[in-house]
Amino acid sequence: MICCKECLDLLYDYIEGSLDQETTDSLEEHFQDCPPCISFMKTYKSTTTICRDTLNQVEVPDAVREALLKVLKENKEHPGEN
Amino acid sequence: MSFTQPKEDKKLEEALVREFQGGNLEAYDKIADIYQKKIYGLSFNLTRNQMDAQDVTQEVLLTLFRKIHTFQGKSAFSSWVYRITLNASYMKLRSKKKEPNVSIDELMPSFNGAGFQQEKIQDWSENTESLLFTNETRDVINKAIDLLPEKEKVVFLLRDVEGLSTEKAGEILDLTVPAVKSRLHRARLFLRKKLSSYFEEFSSRKVEK
Ligand SMILES: [Zn+2]
Repeated sequence: MICCKECLDLLYDYIEGSLDQETTDSLEEHFQDCPPCISFMKTYKSTTTICRDTLNQVEVPDAVREALLKVLKENKEHPGEN
Repeated sequence: MSFTQPKEDKKLEEALVREFQGGNLEAYDKIADIYQKKIYGLSFNLTRNQMDAQDVTQEVLLTLFRKIHTFQGKSAFSSWVYRITLNASYMKLRSKKKEPNVSIDELMPSFNGAGFQQEKIQDWSENTESLLFTNETRDVINKAIDLLPEKEKVVFLLRDVEGLSTEKAGEILDLTVPAVKSRLHRARLFLRKKLSSYFEEFSSRKVEK
């Protein structure tokens, strides 16, 4: 049976679905006997989701959008001046 | 908002780039429009500063305008834009604070001699819903990401936040696929650990009530 360390080393590929069948089986066998590793796997996955959802909320503020538009417009009319 | 591109988008974008290279300024406006939010988002997440993100976005959009003739099409256009964005963001970071000295290794999982988990692992993955998007949670996440060493941070932002493929992140950062994977894995382990203390504390607060 694989140990927790090996289990965590395989997590990345397990989540990507890129492990071969045999390795997947031994990993899942480990999960059955090891609730901490299941919790670890779930929170590992959650970490990505939570961070992605939070960081993707960044919007360009209106003031910034307007300032950028102005600069780009000036640049098109007089390239190379700023 | 992510850089995972369906095929048609990519085709359209390539056409826009060629038109702009041929002198069509309307094509440039469209390109700037498509990329503005992506450039701003990535540079904001790297610099964590609105002024810096604005400067970077302006600089990148102007660079696209001036240097479009140097784009050869050897890699994807978006990869080129990303590289310029990262370089401009790094310039901002360099001119400022020193990276915090956190050893990422200290936050890696620990095992006993037989290779079994040493610490108690709580499953908080089901309890995040009510916390998500609160200011407190946002702060915790932003602080955790700020603590990531730059190498791991940029891989995390490109792969997990922007949603790029491992191969594409490797192309942009000039890293092999295994190197991207290992940095991303370390970043996730580090962030998981950081977020765990927060969410676990929150669950215990809830139990007490
Ligand atoms: Zn285990």
